[in-house]
Amino acid sequence: MKSYKAKRNLSNVLTYILLVIISIIWLFPFVGLVLQSFRSYATEYGGMVDYLIPKQFSLDNYKFLFDSAQTNYVLWYRNTITIAICVAVLQTLIQLCVSYALSRMRFTGRTFLMRFWLILGMFPGFLTMICLYFLLKQFGLTQAGAIPGLILVTVASCGMGYYVCKGYFDTIPKALDEAARIDGATRARIFFTMILPMSKPIVIYTALVAFMAPWCDYVFASYVAFGHDTSYNVAVGMTRWVWTNDYQGYFTRFCAGGVLVAIPVTLLFMFLQKYYVEGVTGGAVKG
Amino acid sequence: MKKKLVSVMLTAAMGMSLLAGCGNSAAEVAETATEVAETATEVAETATETAAEVAEEITDYGTGEVKVWVADNVVDFTNEQIAKFQEAHPEMSGYTFTVEPVGEGDAAGNMITDVEAGADIYAFAQDQIARLVTAGALEVVEDANAEVVKSENDAGAVAAATVGGTLYAYPITSDNGYFLYYDKSVVKDPSTLEGIIADCEAAGKNFYFELNSGWYQTAFFFGTGAELTYETNDEGNFTTCNSSYASDKGVVALKKMLEVASSKSFQNGSSVSNATNCAAIVDGTWDAQAAKDMFGDNYACAKLPTFEGADGKTYQMSGFGGFKLLGVKPQEDDMKLAVCDALAAYLSGEEVQMARYDAVLWGPSNLKAQQSDAVKADEALSALADQLQYTIPQGQYPGDYWSLATSLGDSIISGEVKADADDATLMQVLTDFQTTCESYAK
Amino acid sequence: MAQSADSNKKNAIANFFKALGNGFKEIGTTFVEGDFKTKISFLIFGFGPLLRGQILIGAALLALEVLFFWFMAGFGWKYLSKIGTLGTVATKKVGRKTVYGDNSFLILLFGVLALFAVLAFVVIWYINIRENRKEELLLKSGKKLPTNNEVFMSLFDKNFHKTLLALPVTGIFVFTVLPIVFMILVAFTNYDKNHQSPSNLFTWVGLENFKNLVSFSGAGIGSTFTHVLLWTLVWAFLATFTNYFLGLGVAMLINKKGIKFKKLWRTILVMTIAVPQFVSLLYVMKMFANDGLINGYLIKWGLIKTYIPFWTDPVLARITVVVVNIWIGIPYMVLIATGLLMNIPEDLYESARIDGANPWQMFKSITLPYMLFVTGPFLLTQYTGNLNNFNVIYLLTQGKPQSVNLAEKAGNTDLLITWLYKMTVNDTNYRMAAVLGIMVFVVTAVISLVVYNMLPSVKDEEGFQ
Repeated sequence: MKSYKAKRNLSNVLTYILLVIISIIWLFPFVGLVLQSFRSYATEYGGMVDYLIPKQFSLDNYKFLFDSAQTNYVLWYRNTITIAICVAVLQTLIQLCVSYALSRMRFTGRTFLMRFWLILGMFPGFLTMICLYFLLKQFGLTQAGAIPGLILVTVASCGMGYYVCKGYFDTIPKALDEAARIDGATRARIFFTMILPMSKPIVIYTALVAFMAPWCDYVFASYVAFGHDTSYNVAVGMTRWVWTNDYQGYFTRFCAGGVLVAIPVTLLFMFLQKYYVEGVTGGAVKG
Repeated sequence: MKKKLVSVMLTAAMGMSLLAGCGNSAAEVAETATEVAETATEVAETATETAAEVAEEITDYGTGEVKVWVADNVVDFTNEQIAKFQEAHPEMSGYTFTVEPVGEGDAAGNMITDVEAGADIYAFAQDQIARLVTAGALEVVEDANAEVVKSENDAGAVAAATVGGTLYAYPITSDNGYFLYYDKSVVKDPSTLEGIIADCEAAGKNFYFELNSGWYQTAFFFGTGAELTYETNDEGNFTTCNSSYASDKGVVALKKMLEVASSKSFQNGSSVSNATNCAAIVDGTWDAQAAKDMFGDNYACAKLPTFEGADGKTYQMSGFGGFKLLGVKPQEDDMKLAVCDALAAYLSGEEVQMARYDAVLWGPSNLKAQQSDAVKADEALSALADQLQYTIPQGQYPGDYWSLATSLGDSIISGEVKADADDATLMQVLTDFQTTCESYAK
Repeated sequence: MAQSADSNKKNAIANFFKALGNGFKEIGTTFVEGDFKTKISFLIFGFGPLLRGQILIGAALLALEVLFFWFMAGFGWKYLSKIGTLGTVATKKVGRKTVYGDNSFLILLFGVLALFAVLAFVVIWYINIRENRKEELLLKSGKKLPTNNEVFMSLFDKNFHKTLLALPVTGIFVFTVLPIVFMILVAFTNYDKNHQSPSNLFTWVGLENFKNLVSFSGAGIGSTFTHVLLWTLVWAFLATFTNYFLGLGVAMLINKKGIKFKKLWRTILVMTIAVPQFVSLLYVMKMFANDGLINGYLIKWGLIKTYIPFWTDPVLARITVVVVNIWIGIPYMVLIATGLLMNIPEDLYESARIDGANPWQMFKSITLPYMLFVTGPFLLTQYTGNLNNFNVIYLLTQGKPQSVNLAEKAGNTDLLITWLYKMTVNDTNYRMAAVLGIMVFVVTAVISLVVYNMLPSVKDEEGFQ
C-alpha cells in the first residue's frame, strides 16, 4: 500500500513538473510581448532586438498609441469594438433563428437547405473576396463605409454556422414544445418564452465566438477599407507596422497595441470560459 | 427656408435617379447634357487658346475631390504642400484634396484591384510602373509637363518613368538605391565584402543582405557583368528580354552569393528595424534615421564593397539605382485631370523635392535640387551617390521577375542550391532562371 | 452499406424527375380547369388571390412581379444581355479624357445576379399558380379561405420557419452563393492582370485554365500544384493528429487525480485561444526568426554556433509551423477532452485495474476508443479546417521559403489556400486562383465524404450507449 502511495506521489510530482514546463512554454510569448511593449521606441530602440528585458521600462509606446496626432490607433480600436459588438448581437440572433427553425420545425426543403449549406461551406472564402468587395462597393459600403460593410458581410453569411446552436436545441426535449402547443402557444411564443430562456449557455457561447472573430479579421477588412485608414480595424492597422517597410521601428509599438487588444478579449474569455467549454464540447461531439 | 426646399428637391431628384434603375436613363440624359457642354467648352478652349494667358484665369475647373496616396511618414508634409498649392491656384478652389496614408507597395496593388476607387494621384516605386500601365491605372503625362519633367530630372529618373516611348509618371526621388550602413567599431574596412564578413564573424555580429530580393541580388549579378533588362511597348507589355545570367559571369556571381549565404554572420534582410545584433546592412536612404538610431555613435556608411570572385578577379558590387514616382490615374473628367496634372507637377517640382528632403531626407531626382549643399553634405546620400556610378538605372521589369528572384534567393539561403555544387549544376540553375525570365517577354 | 446509399441516390434522382413532371402537369391542369381569375394570374401574379380576398398573398406576389420587371428593366438586363461576350466596347480616350467601355467584371457579376433573379421569378410564378389552384380547390370543396389575419399570424406559427429563415437565406444567397457562382465562372475566363476591368475586357476561354493546372511542361503549373497539394494533405494530417493526441495527453495530465489548480492550468493554456492570432502568431514568427529572440539566446548561451534557420530551411520551416500550430491548437483539444474524459464511467477503469491493467493498457483499450468514437466528426472537421488553415501558415511564413523548383510564387510551406490568396491579392491572377479554389473545394468535399462514411459514430449510432 505504501509503495502504491509513493508511486502515486512520484507520478504526481512528475505531472506537476510537466505542467509547469508546459505553462512556461505557453506563456513565454505573451510575457515576451508584454516586456517588449515597455521598451521605448524613443529612448531605447523600436525595432527588433535579441534581448528580452528592456534596459529601461517606459510607457512611450502606449503614449504613442493614444496620441491621435501620430496614429489612428484609438479610432481603429473603436472601429473594431463597434464591429465586434454589432456582429456579436446580430449573428447570435440570426443563428438562434436558423437553429430553431432547423431543429424544431419540419418543412419541405429542410434537408436540402442543410446539405446545400454544408457544401457551400467547403468553398474557400478568399476566392469570393474580390466579388464581395465590388458588391459592397455597389452599396457604397467600402472605404469610408467599410465598417457597416464588414458587419453586413459577416452577418449575412453567418446563418451557415448554425451547427453548435442547433445541436444544443436538439438536446432540449421536444415534449416540452408539444405540451405548450397543446395549450395553444404559437411557435413564435414557444421560441421566445420557452426555448430562449433555456439557452443561456449557447447564447453566450455564440455571442462570445462572434465577438472574438472580428479582432482577427485582417484579410477581408483590409480589402474593404481599401487604403482608407480611418476605416481600418486594429488587425489591418497594426499588421502594417510589422509588414511594411514604411514603418521602421514600429515593432515595440505593435507589441503595445497587441497587448491592449489582447486584454479585453482575454478578460471576457476568462469570465465566460465555462460557456465556451460547453459550446465547443457540445459542438465537437455533435460534429 | 428656400435652401431647405432646394435640398429636399435634390434628395428627391437623387431618389428618382436611383429609382430609374440605378440611374440608367437619367444618367444618360445627364451625359448627353455634359457632352454638349463639353463640345461647347472645347470650342471655347480653341478660341481662347489663341488668346494665350488670359484664358487660364477664366477657365472654370468646376468642383471635385482629389484623393492622394502617399506613405504614412509624408502625409503631413504632403498636406502642407497641397495647402501651398491651393494658395497658388485660387482658380482650383472648387476642389477638395484628401491625403491618405497608403504605402508605395499597397498603392500599386490597390490601384490594380480597383482603379475607380483608387487615388487620383499616388506615389509608387518604379518597379510597379509597367503593371500599372497595363492595368490602365496611369495617365500619360501631359505634353507641357512632360517637357519640364524631362529637362529638370536626371536621365535615370526619366527613363524609369517611361514605358515604351511614353512618359507615364513624375519622378519624385532618385534615392531608391542601396549601399552599406555599418558599425565602424566592428567593421574596420568596408571596402571588401570578405573583410566585412570576416569582421562580423569575429565580433559575433550579423551582416544583413536581402539575398532573396530581385532588387538586391543584382548587386552580385550586375557586378560581375551579367545582364538582365527588358524592353516594353507603349501598353506596358514586355517585348524583349536581354539576359546573360546563364554565363560564366553569372556563375561567379551565384557562387559568391552561395558563399555569403553560408557565413554564420549572414542574415537575409534589408530592414534596419527588423535587424538584431547588426554590424553591417545593405539598405537604402529611407532607413538612414533608423540606422543612426541603431548604430548610435558608430554610424557610418559607404558604397558597396568589392568582392573577389571564384575566378580570382575582383568585382565591384553593382545593383539598381531606382526611383520613386508620382502617378496620375486616368480621369473621366478633363477639368479634374487638369487639376491632377497641375498638382502632380507641383508635388514633383524642384521646390517641393527640396522641401521633402528637408522634411524626411528623401533624395531628390531634380537636377538642381541634387546640386544643393544640404543634399551634397548628406552622408547617406553621398554614399549612395558613390554607389550610383556602379549601378544601372532600373528600367522596367515584369512583376513575375521579382517573385522568381525571390525563389532563387530562397533556394540559395535554404541550401537547396548547394554551396559546393559544381559549375555545371550552377549553370543549369541559371539557365532555368534565364529561360523563365525570357518567357515573361512575348 | 454503399449499395443502399447508391440506390438511395437513384431513388432521389427518380423522385426529382417525378416531382418535376408532376409540377408541369399541375400547371397544365390549373390552366385548363381554372377560372378566368386563375388564367389571368398566369400573367399578372396574385390576380386570383386578390380578387378572392387574399389581399396579403396577392399583393405580395404582385409586388414581387413588379419588383422583378423593375429590376430587370433598370439594371439586370443591361448586364444579362452581354453575359455571352462579357462586353465588347473597349475603353478609349477622348482627348485626354478616358471613356470607360464595358466592364467585364460587373457584367459577369450582375449578369449572374440577373440570372438568379430570373430563376427566382420562375419559382415565384410557380408558387403563384399553386396558390391559385389551392384556393380554387378549397372553394370548390365548399371550405372557406383563411382570412388575411390568419395568413399573417401563420407566419408566427405554422410558417414560423419562413419568418426565421427569410433573412439568413437571402443574406447567404447574395453574399455567399452569388460570389461563389461568380468565382466558379471566372475559372472559365481569362480574367488576370492583363485583362483587368475597367480598362481592359476579359472573356470566356473554356477549359484553358484547367489545362494549365494539369500541364506539367513549360509554363504549366502541374508539378507545383501537386507539390502544394501533397503538403496541404500532409500538413492537415500532422496538424490534426499532433493536436489531438498531445491535447488529449495534456488534458489527462490536468484531469489526473490528486492534481490541484486544475482551473489554473487550463486558463494558462486557453490564453492562446483568447489572444487574437494576428498578435500572438506575428510575435512568435519574429521570435523564431534567424536573428530572433530564440536564436539570439541560444547563441548567447553558447548552445549553438550558428543560427537555426527555422523559417528559411524548407524542412525546418515545415516542422516549425507544425510545432507552433501545436501551441495554438492544443488548448481547444484540452477543453473538449476535459469534459468528455469525465463522462467515461469510472467503474470501467476500476474493473480494468482489478484485472491488473497498467495505465497504458487502460488508455489504449478504454480512453482512446471512447474518445475516438465520440470525437470522430470533430476530427473530420478539424482535418478539413486544417486543410484551409490560412492564419497559421500565412501569419508565420506567408508560404515561404520559395524555391526555384516551384512556379507562381508558391513556397514550401504554402497550402492551397495561402497560394490562392497570394495569387488573388499579390498577382491579381484571378483565373488561376478560381481554378485552385475549385480544387480546394473538390479536395475538401471528397475527403469529407469518404471519411464521413467511415466514421464509427455514423455507422453505428447506438454504440457505446
